[in-house]
Amino acid sequence: MNAATYIVKNALRNKRRALLSVLSVAASLFLFVMLLVALREMTVPPEDIGSSLRIIARNKVSLAQPLPLKQLAIIEKIPGVEAVTPFSFYGGAYKGEEKFTSFAQFAVDPLRFTAVGVDAKIDPAELQAWFADRTTCIVGVDTAKRYGLKIGDRMRFTGQIYPVDLDLKIAGIYRGTMDDRNVFFHHKYLDEALGDPGTVGTWWLRAASPEEAPRVVERINRAFANTAAEVRAETERAFQLSFVSMWGNIKILIGSICSVVVFTLLLVTVSTMSMAIRERFRELAVLKALGFRRELFAFILAESFALAMTGALLGAGGAWWLFHSLDIPKVTNGIFVSFEVTPRHMGLAFGIAALLGIISAIGPAITVARTSVVQGLRTLD
Amino acid sequence: MGATNVVEVRQLTKIYRQGEINVTALNLIDLDIAQGEFLVLMGPSGSGKSTLLHIIAGIDRPTSGECHVQGIDVADLSESRLADWRNQNVGFVFQTFNLIPVLTAHENVELPLLLTRLNRRQRRKQVETALELVGLGDRARHLPRQLSGGQEQRVAIARSIVTDPQLVVADEPTGNLDSHSAHDVLSILQSMSRQAGKTVIMVTHDPKAAAFGSRTVHLEKGELVD
Repeated sequence: MNAATYIVKNALRNKRRALLSVLSVAASLFLFVMLLVALREMTVPPEDIGSSLRIIARNKVSLAQPLPLKQLAIIEKIPGVEAVTPFSFYGGAYKGEEKFTSFAQFAVDPLRFTAVGVDAKIDPAELQAWFADRTTCIVGVDTAKRYGLKIGDRMRFTGQIYPVDLDLKIAGIYRGTMDDRNVFFHHKYLDEALGDPGTVGTWWLRAASPEEAPRVVERINRAFANTAAEVRAETERAFQLSFVSMWGNIKILIGSICSVVVFTLLLVTVSTMSMAIRERFRELAVLKALGFRRELFAFILAESFALAMTGALLGAGGAWWLFHSLDIPKVTNGIFVSFEVTPRHMGLAFGIAALLGIISAIGPAITVARTSVVQGLRTLD
Repeated sequence: MGATNVVEVRQLTKIYRQGEINVTALNLIDLDIAQGEFLVLMGPSGSGKSTLLHIIAGIDRPTSGECHVQGIDVADLSESRLADWRNQNVGFVFQTFNLIPVLTAHENVELPLLLTRLNRRQRRKQVETALELVGLGDRARHLPRQLSGGQEQRVAIARSIVTDPQLVVADEPTGNLDSHSAHDVLSILQSMSRQAGKTVIMVTHDPKAAAFGSRTVHLEKGELVD
């Protein structure tokens, strides 16, 4: 026998309690990791290679306010602008029967859109077919899979923002972007349906280089300053982060829940370890009589640490395994796209488990250290 | 200290504080115990016999006086040195056996050896020898719950002698045993004293158990009465 054997045998002495302790740590850390992943998914926009080049220009008053189409000619001439496309969020309900449509639809100028630099991979023939017919659209592979759509199928949308419904034919299916769910269709088709209002939702641009992007932003803002439709241009990353700021309260809420989870977990493990040690007080007194002293603290710490880390392995490891194995977009009805458990999440979960192991061992260890052999034997005799 | 005395107690006093009241458990005790002696401490409950045993064994400290064991004043040792000293010099046998229920007889006996520098093979050899000495060589893999009370106490005796200490202290070792098992346990303690030359100090209420000792000392109200 060695010290490890003794620790393991002690930890498994009351198997049911050990199992319940491990499961309580595991369940709590699973929840903790899940919340962190959800928070990340909601607050950290996915980044791709082109995001440092792309710029969004919207109405300075509000995102909901349209911009005049005539701005296109001015933007095109701004130094550093490589390409620009109108980019309007349509926001229709697919099939008119869903309360919540899990994918967005954007009206764009297809030729300009591809020039702006989408990271999407699409068959060139399908792309040409989309260019050629203004009633067609391209669909992300995730949405196509989810609804069993194929090229040639029709997608019908009921307008929720615009007072027009759209009937689009699928010309191509793309993949390879950070979010392969969206539908892109011809802005002209939307304009025709709306009676050519001469407006767009936003402008989507491509700068000549990442270094040039901030200067392009400044030039665009300056170009439309003191006009009837002032714009607010920003990099794609900044634009996405402006949405994130809307999640401010959610961040606090999730942060609070995480704190409560960790605190409750601490109470549970401290209570469990205290109970386990209290039951063994006589034995620990005997071990002290036999000459054990600092070793007892090591035994208690190791036992507590082992239980907490086993819980972390099951909880955080289980979350990692589960979220990697599941088809998250399908399971979450498209609300979450990647739901990735990052090394930081794992590190946090295991760090918390290690801390729990240490903190929950301190109390019982101090009690054991302060109690004399005679007290220990007398208390339980 | 006399050449053959393992224990020398001088003017030993132990006072417990219970709330506002001071209770004198031991009052100016003088006692010598020779090497190889099997000393029996007898007396009514609360007479201080267990307290005296605990102080000699280094698990309690006197209020005043001296307690020399093998020439060392145990009251002067720090907690950590006292723990080391106990591991090397004292074997304990308790009334309730106090074996670790999740460890086998072999592992229970091996426990004190985990604090030594012995390797696994050396430890195994010593444990086997100790178990053979108490007649439980064939019960090494048994858990305490698979043993009778007498066998459990014999395992506890094996644990007390596995480090080869000079002093073995036994606090009511037969208190939880039937007469047959008690006889076996007392015989082992007696042979440890007579044949192995260990100094054994035993606390008991039982005159029959006391008969196994080489000398009996009576305590009453914290004082030696003969």
